[in-house]
Order: sequence, then C-alpha cells, then structure tokens
Amino acid sequence: MKPVYKLKFMLSGHTRSIASMKFSPDGSMLATVAADKLLKIWNTEDGQILHTLSGHTEGISDVAWSPDGEFLATASDDKTIRLWSIESVSTVKVLKGHTNFVFCVNFNPQSNMLVSGGFDESVRIWDVARGRTMKTLPAHSDPVTAVTFNHDGTLIASCAMDGLIRIWDTDSGQCLKTLADDDNPICSHIKFTPNSKFILASTQDSTIRLWNTQTSRCVKTYSGHTNRTYCLFADFTPGKQHIVSGSEDMKVYIWDLQKRQIVQVLEGHRDVVIAVAAHPTRPIIASAAMEKDLTIRLWEDGNAGAG
Amino acid sequence: MNGTLSNPFNITYPTAVQTSLVSGASFAKFDPSGRFVAGGRPDGGAMIWDLNTKAPIRWLDGHVKGVTSVDWSRNSRYLLTSSKDWNVIIWDMATDWDPPLPSSTVRFDSPVLSASFHPKNSKILLVLLSLGEAYIVDLRREYKGRYELVEAQEESDEEGQVNKPRSVMTVARFDPTGKHVFVGTTVGSILVFNTRTKTMVARHKLPGAGIIKGLEFSKDGRRLVANSSDRILRQFNVPTYPNPTAGEELTEQELEPTYRFNDPINRNPWHAMSYSPDGEWLAGGAADNATHKIYIWDITNEGQFASTLDGGPEPLLHVHWHPHKPSIASTTNHGNILIWHCPTPERWGAFAGGFEEVDENVEYEEREDEFDIEDEDVLVQRKMKEEEEEVNIEGIDGTAQATVEHARAQSGDYDDDAAWALEEPDDDSRDWRMRIVIEDEE
Repeated sequence: MKPVYKLKFMLSGHTRSIASMKFSPDGSMLATVAADKLLKIWNTEDGQILHTLSGHTEGISDVAWSPDGEFLATASDDKTIRLWSIESVSTVKVLKGHTNFVFCVNFNPQSNMLVSGGFDESVRIWDVARGRTMKTLPAHSDPVTAVTFNHDGTLIASCAMDGLIRIWDTDSGQCLKTLADDDNPICSHIKFTPNSKFILASTQDSTIRLWNTQTSRCVKTYSGHTNRTYCLFADFTPGKQHIVSGSEDMKVYIWDLQKRQIVQVLEGHRDVVIAVAAHPTRPIIASAAMEKDLTIRLWEDGNAGAG
Repeated sequence: MNGTLSNPFNITYPTAVQTSLVSGASFAKFDPSGRFVAGGRPDGGAMIWDLNTKAPIRWLDGHVKGVTSVDWSRNSRYLLTSSKDWNVIIWDMATDWDPPLPSSTVRFDSPVLSASFHPKNSKILLVLLSLGEAYIVDLRREYKGRYELVEAQEESDEEGQVNKPRSVMTVARFDPTGKHVFVGTTVGSILVFNTRTKTMVARHKLPGAGIIKGLEFSKDGRRLVANSSDRILRQFNVPTYPNPTAGEELTEQELEPTYRFNDPINRNPWHAMSYSPDGEWLAGGAADNATHKIYIWDITNEGQFASTLDGGPEPLLHVHWHPHKPSIASTTNHGNILIWHCPTPERWGAFAGGFEEVDENVEYEEREDEFDIEDEDVLVQRKMKEEEEEVNIEGIDGTAQATVEHARAQSGDYDDDAAWALEEPDDDSRDWRMRIVIEDEE
C-alpha cells in the first residue's frame, strides 16, 4: 500500500522562484507560475513546454484552472488577476480591484466565479464572464494566504497570516464560522477535502492539520516536515489516501491520511519545496522549488500502477 | 451544507427580495438545477440569467412575436420556447455558439399558448394552441408525428344535445412522471390523457370553477392546484388512474378539493401559482393591477394562509418557486424578475473562533473536569488517541441518498409508459456544462 514515487521528469524554464502550480482538470497539462512574471504550461505526458504566457508586470503568486478546463487565473504582485483562455492562449480579462499584492486565487466548481485574496487583507468574489468584483469581504486582519470554494460552490474558506480560517456563505458573503487554534500560527494554505467536511490547513509551526468544519475540531495532525517561513502548498495525493506537502528542508513529504505517519520522503530538490500538486486521476505528483533550484519534478508512483 | 453550518430558523418560504433582474420579461422560470432563470419577453426574445453572478448569460433570438412559455429539460441542457408567432423552438445550451442557434423549430398553424417537454424525454413535447387544441408532438424517429388529444364525448352528448357548447382546452400540463397529460377546459373540467396512447382516461368536473386558467403539480406529483375564473385556487390529491390497456373504462369523477385558496378581502384573481419543492407551501401570485403580492399558504397546516409577500408597486405577472431552495422568482409587468430569498441575520460571533452566540442568558454549567490541571503528556496522548479515528474525506451524505431517490423516482413507476418515454433518449446528460462566455471589453 505504501507509495513508491519515483522521479519521472524534471522540467526547467522559470528563471526566478516558482510560486505555485496546478494540474489541468483532465490532467493533461501542468500550469506553473513564478516570480519571473511568467505563466508556463507543460505537457504532463512528455514534460515538454507547451506555452509561455506573459502579461503580468510583477511576480505571480498563484495559479488556478477553471474546472471546465477553459480558463486559467493568475494572481500577481501587480495587484491584478489575469484570466487566460486555453483555447486562444491569451489574456481574456484583467481583473482590477485589489489594492495590494494578490496572493491566492481559485475558481468555483461551475467556473463562473473566482475568489481571490491578497495583501490588502480582503477576499474578493469575481464574475468570470464580466471580470468584475461582485463582493469584497473584509475577511482578515493580515494578508490572505489562501482562499477556495467547497465542492458545490456554496461555501468559501479563507486563511491568513492572522492564523484564522474563516468559512463564508458564497451567496450572502456572510461569515459562518472561524476555525482557530490556541496559538494562532500563521496559516499558509487550506484545501477542502473532496466532500468539504474537512479542511486541510498548513501552518507555519511545521504542522498540517485536518479540521472538521462541522465540529470546528482538529481531527488529524501531520508533522515531520519543516515550515516556518513560507506559504507551502499541501494536497491530497491521487487516490486520496495520502497527504503531500513541500518542506523547507528541500524535501517532499507524504503522509498516510488516516495513520498520520510519513510514508515516503522525496529528495532531490536543492531549495525550499514550495509548491506541490497532485494529478487528478493518475498517481503523479508534481513538486517545485525556489530560487536555488528552479526545477519542477514529476514523480510517479510505481506501486499504484500495479494495484 | 450551509444549512447545517449557519443554522437558520427553519423558515421554508422566502421573505424578502434579494435581487431584481432587469429583463423585459413577462414571466421567468428557474431551471431544474436552480442555477439559472429563463425569461420570456413580449417582443419575442428570451434570455437566461446566471443566478450566481446575477447576470444575463444567453440571449435567445428566434421568435418574432411574444414568447408565451418556456420550459427546461430535466438536466437543463435544452430550453423550449413557445410563441405567438406559431413556433416552438428548442435550444441546445451545450452548443459552442453564442448566441445559441435553434436546434429545432416546430411550426404550427396558429399562435402557441404553451409548450413543455416530457419530463423524461425532451424529444416529446406537449403543445397547446390558441384555438384550444392540445397536441403531443413526438420528435423521435419511430413515433414521429403530431397527435391531437381529443376529448371523449360524454354519453349524454350522443343523445343529440348539439347545442351544448363544446369545451375548449385552455391549459395543458404533463404530470411530473410524464405518464399523463392534464388539460383544463373552458367548461370547468380537467381531462386526463395517457401520454403514450393519447387516449383520455378521466374527466373531472369542478363545479362552479368556470374556465380553468392554470394547473400546477407539486414536485412529487401527488398534489395538483387549479386556477379558475371564479378566483379560487383548488387543490386536489391526484388520483391514480388504471392503465389504459387494462380496460376501456373512462373515469368520470368529480374531484373534491382538499383545500380552496382565495383572497377573501380583495377577491383578487390569480396569475400563477407554484409549490415549494417539498410541497409544503403554495405560492399564489395575485392578479392585482396596482400591487405585487404573493400569497403563501401552509399546506401541511391545513392549508392555512401564512403570509403575503409584498414586492412593491410593479404589478405581478408570474411566480415560480426555486427547485430546491426557499426562493421564488416573481415577474413584474415592468419586465423585472424579482428573486426572493430568506435573509439570515449576520452573526458576528462567527468571526471569533470557538465563540458561541446565545439568544438569552444561560446559566453556564462547568464541566466536572473543566479547570483541572492535567499533565501535558496525558493531553497529548489523548489527542493522539482521538486522532486514530478514521475520517471519510470523500463520501458525501445525502448524495448517496439522493442517488437512491433518483433511482427510485426513475424506477418507481417503471412501466410501459416510462419504457415508451425512454425509447430514443435525448442527450440531456447530467454532465454537460454551460460554457462561460467572456463578455467583450468595451
């Protein structure tokens, strides 16, 4: 049952720190963004670069695919979000409204709305087709580090450097609840489980926690990696049996979701592994590291194929 | 999901207008998913609004005269519009074209009053023409054709009562299973036809009703409400009808209303009515030419009047209840679609973690061990033990149940009629997507 991820491809092309990456909904492509202001799209099958897109005037912090596979959104320090069409491989909208760096972005399941958060401490909800802000939520008292919709798009969860995780009603924009630990470590990343009953939260006390959103209790704790400085991504591996996260000790950690033990550590990167992403269907993980490394590595689980 | 998180007071009908969509429409209907609303305009246009973004997303330009009705297929891929220009148009929302092109047009020889899809197959249509004729239009290869639904003569008619006025059909509806067609007439009767055989299986007279102006079913198909020219809404429990193959017997039966709803003060007639998704509430849109009023009756509480929703000065033309939420779309004669919802008060306590708001003072009862000082190791160990418990991150409660219910709904009345309707199925699959069309920058 233990995964045995082995290096499959090494992709290089970005010239400055990679910040975020995501697989396309069908898994055929991988989108990466970096401080070099570029969005790159790679072919997952052979590791070849497909497109390099420019437009932002400052570094990019996050990227998201629309679930219908038609669009990409990128969040940049130039205070804008760019909406890119996959079909035309170009910018179709520039979303303006944030008053400071935009740090995180995600689509809703219907692909008609976006949420974004940034250093202006607000969360914005956007109409994708019109490129206009629908609502601004005075969400946090520190930079917003991650924001995401739940599986049916009725809820939004946000987290920030103030250490709080807030859950919002999409339709009314009202805050429904706040999840907080006693120590309030900076919260770097959150992700809903596929059924939206739990939130996987990475905090800068080198811990990842799984929160039950109904009871507001932490039900699982994952540790062993290092996370004190950067906003590292975490994800559920393909098959949803494991948790994967980057680490500031240049490794990638994989935990057993239920047992909370480390089941594999991937070594090879030469700088902080900031971003990880799991393929939607196949047992493939992508990891990307910062300035001194600049590679994106695709890892495939040899064990999963046999089973 | 939100219900469990936000814990609203269990009001199950809307109370306030959330948005007004400026549409020029004279009526508007939610799609079965509740994500969209389609409006028909007196100038022949039709439009679709996205309720997430509260913005128009499709313009349907195909009719040259007023649109008289719209209907969505069960998974919202197809939209049907009927018009005074003698045409019924079926639009396919899954095409890449914007604006969408008609995927088929059915032309008649007089204005079309209303048209709807068979609930199980959008290749079967029910069409009512302005001359009072109802047709089943079958677009399937094997059954292709137009079949008129003809009222069986009453026995007394055969004895030469020629001067008796012939009844004219004024409203035609499929029941939610699609097995039967219910037709209202000018002489206050409801005729029931079998969709497959097109034979009339029952005639129900509603004494004193006058002209039947509207028929609506509850989602489960067990209740039916009829609007008539005597300004009374009559609700009936829908009887079961024998299979037409079993015998030739025609059921002649007066239906006794379970409830009668009217406006005792203003004696307002009604423009439209709509059941809540659970069938526990009925909304009636009053045909008052100075106000916009929706009456809500509590069906589970002996049909008692519950509330009047006041939508302002623009007179009401149409109401439609959302397929699964306490929300109503009501259309004004100025062309605005009002979307009603249940506002929930902001709970500021939600902004603080672990904070619980109470409505009144509560004597706090301290747990026995609440302030005990425990060894940190013991605490950690207990926490670790708690974390041993398995979590299910993929399964969704309710979905499994919904699937079962869906299967039951599909199979519950699985008989010759359902099998017939499912022959040559349409392409209205559940996984089609409404493509996002990016608006051009100006």
